[in-house]
Amino acid sequence: MQSLLVVVVAASFSFVVLHVAPGDPVSDIADATGISANLKAQWRAQGGYDQPIGVQYVRWIANVARGRLGQSTSHQRPVIDVIGDRLPSTLLLMSLALAGSVLLGAALGAWQGARAGTRRDRALTFASLLLYSLPEFWFALLLLYVFALRLHVLPASGDVDAAMHDSMTGWQQLVDRARHLVLPWASLAVIGTAIFARYQRETMREVLREPFVRTARAKGLTESAVRRQAWRAAILPIVTLSGLFFPALLTGAVFVERVFGWPGMGTALLDAIRGRDYALVSACVIVGSAMTALGTLLADGVRMFVDPRLRNV
Amino acid sequence: MSVSLRRIVSRLVVTGNIRPARFAHWVGVTALLCSGCSVAGRDTVGAGDSGGTLVIVQPFEPKTLFPPRANGTQELSVVASVFDRLAEIGPALGTIGDAGFAPRLAKSWAWAADSLSIAFSLDPRAHWHDGVPVKAEDVRYTFHVYTSDAVLSQYRSLLANIDSVSARDSLTAVVWFKRRTPQQFMDATYSMFILPSHLLASLPDSALVAAPFGRQPVGTGRFRFSRWDAGTRLEIITDTANARGRAKLDRVIWTFVSDQGAATVKLLAGEADFLEKIRPENIPQVASTPTVRLEDNRPLSYSYLGFNLHAQRSSPDSNPMPHPVFGDVRVRRALAMALDRPRMVRAALDSLGLVAFAPAPRVLIPDTSALRQIPYNVVAAKALLDSAGWRDSNGDGMRERDGKPLAFELLVPSASTPRMRLSELIQSALKDVGANVTVQPLDGPTALGPRLDARNFDAWMGGWATNPGLQGMRQTWASRGASNSQSYESPAFDALLDSALTTFDAARSRGYWARAFQQTIDDVPSVWLFEERALVAVHTRIRLAPLRADAWYANLADWSVDPAHRIDRDKIGIGGAR
Repeated sequence: MQSLLVVVVAASFSFVVLHVAPGDPVSDIADATGISANLKAQWRAQGGYDQPIGVQYVRWIANVARGRLGQSTSHQRPVIDVIGDRLPSTLLLMSLALAGSVLLGAALGAWQGARAGTRRDRALTFASLLLYSLPEFWFALLLLYVFALRLHVLPASGDVDAAMHDSMTGWQQLVDRARHLVLPWASLAVIGTAIFARYQRETMREVLREPFVRTARAKGLTESAVRRQAWRAAILPIVTLSGLFFPALLTGAVFVERVFGWPGMGTALLDAIRGRDYALVSACVIVGSAMTALGTLLADGVRMFVDPRLRNV
Repeated sequence: MSVSLRRIVSRLVVTGNIRPARFAHWVGVTALLCSGCSVAGRDTVGAGDSGGTLVIVQPFEPKTLFPPRANGTQELSVVASVFDRLAEIGPALGTIGDAGFAPRLAKSWAWAADSLSIAFSLDPRAHWHDGVPVKAEDVRYTFHVYTSDAVLSQYRSLLANIDSVSARDSLTAVVWFKRRTPQQFMDATYSMFILPSHLLASLPDSALVAAPFGRQPVGTGRFRFSRWDAGTRLEIITDTANARGRAKLDRVIWTFVSDQGAATVKLLAGEADFLEKIRPENIPQVASTPTVRLEDNRPLSYSYLGFNLHAQRSSPDSNPMPHPVFGDVRVRRALAMALDRPRMVRAALDSLGLVAFAPAPRVLIPDTSALRQIPYNVVAAKALLDSAGWRDSNGDGMRERDGKPLAFELLVPSASTPRMRLSELIQSALKDVGANVTVQPLDGPTALGPRLDARNFDAWMGGWATNPGLQGMRQTWASRGASNSQSYESPAFDALLDSALTTFDAARSRGYWARAFQQTIDDVPSVWLFEERALVAVHTRIRLAPLRADAWYANLADWSVDPAHRIDRDKIGIGGAR
């Protein structure tokens, strides 16, 4: 219920902010003779954009409550169709990026935490700090320049080879999709890995100072078995962080999708904001809020699975 | 950058082609990009000069392919390839009568004795891509849709002189005009792509814009629509059964990359063959890429420094008052004299800009050398401002009159790099004659547009794209023009414009145009600044047909791929499924 309230408030907020901002869907028209102020006014009246914001809001929220997200003005088709086209691509990219970030970050951070203070740990800490401070879009442009433009080993943009994909065999199509996924995935996952690694390193260091670790060592467990036990205890904050990381990943995906021409929600959202596509922006916010709430719920579930003590709280 | 850019462009102009192809390099790049991929199915591949795939990368995805609401290159480039007009304007862009027009859906036409109607005889071989023959009823229905209140097509105003369209028989459509005008043939042909009534007439007009047809169009062009994967690609394929012959290319694929830099990388990496617009800063890099060449393209557009001649009204009902600064033609003239336009255009656009002569691109101006331009003369500009009462009374370098400073706000569309650069140069130049300019960059669609519509501005860095007949001049610069946001009112100009647009004799029409343009130079409602030379980047294996100034894509069906330099994607064919 609380999640639903968050979704409604976030969507309403975006609706109001976008309407208060200058311009409307009719404003997004290139300089051209033939489009007079009078014609724009007629388009506004046709779309109902000339009505007071309160009237527009009531009409919009009533439609949303009935499951009608409206018509996208920047795509000239139902919003639900636009979301249906774009959401799977974004979910694929984000889930793989999140999985990669968590798995690689947790492994790297645990390894560092167990070797805290060594030269290799310090080198990796420096590297992760460097990556951590990079904006995703900048890192994406760097990858694009190196791997697509200079080395020519990976495709520059899109989700498939637009000219060749249909003529490929099933296996080749799979490889083609994977190759197109590498750069956008790496742009998100590498930076995510750095973030998770830094958290995991610190939690691992703290856990290794816990009394149960001393006890385990005193009982004669091998060092690898001790670290395995410690890592299980250190993973909990990472699980929580992964839930919080989900919306941040969505933000990052917006820019990464733009750079790599990835046909996801991010590019649709940016285009919709530029075109003042009220219905689509609001729908994107609803989907984003729902994904955030879902991510948090999933993280809670995983935490309870990993730590039985939480099940009785 | 500027020196190398100039060299590049001058070489381009001389040779029309910058670098020879380096096929081996291209093959190597392609092999890497397509590593592990081979062509699994190849069929219906064009023979000889025909065949091949063109991949166009562009920043914007079309909103719709429904012709009456198609707007901008991203939509019209597809629409013009899939649909046909009754007749097509010639390469010289002549608009008087039917001179130069070539048959398309209409194989011939006959004028009525009083010239108030034209009977178009449709090509009996013409078929819609679904196999249904084209009928005169389609033409009648098309006019109905384009002028419908429910559709609200932007082209409706260009069809105002057409009274009705009737179907004399199944293959003869008669267009009836309200008045006899030199451009009436263009009115009947240029603004309308013919629509299939058998697919659309059953829908109410109010449902047409959002109908699925806008994403799966059925036309009569030499290309037929194939697929549109939202956000990814849009594909058209040659219509092998077309009465006018198949398009030379097998396929044209548009891919969408929002970021201009990433789109350029896609081109340079060999994943795309054509990019309509190259940023000036990317031109040296593109020119040094062996697999890509640059081609000159001069769109029908011009840009200017526009003055609002009326003061802001206290209420919508109050009488318009002259603008406190720009209401005086002497001030406007002085400001124009203070601007060294050739130097400024070169500084802002290098070789990619040409100084504008008048409110029209030079290709549509009869004789540019006959126009008397306002000379660059700072001394005379200062004297003129003195005589207009604007003097530096307190010695601070800025002029005042009646205690009010000579100052104004200049609105600039922030997305236009040339106009942003020029606005700073204008600010600096006008400061030298004592005018204080505040440059205000604004987002064009959302912030600048509403200010212009409300006429709430002093000056702006404007620009217009025109059509070949310049009929839009009535809307943009005539006294009661719907888009004349600067409130330029000149009975002399209005009369000359009317004469130019209504005179049937081409020589006399040119004379009227020359005088009309001279009037706009003398009245100085704007300082005509520049015309952009947009370079397009294209893969060296692609052979272009001439790029028409009003639409580079107009002859897309005649583009081809050099048979000796075809790559894997050229060998796909149009696919057995389609």
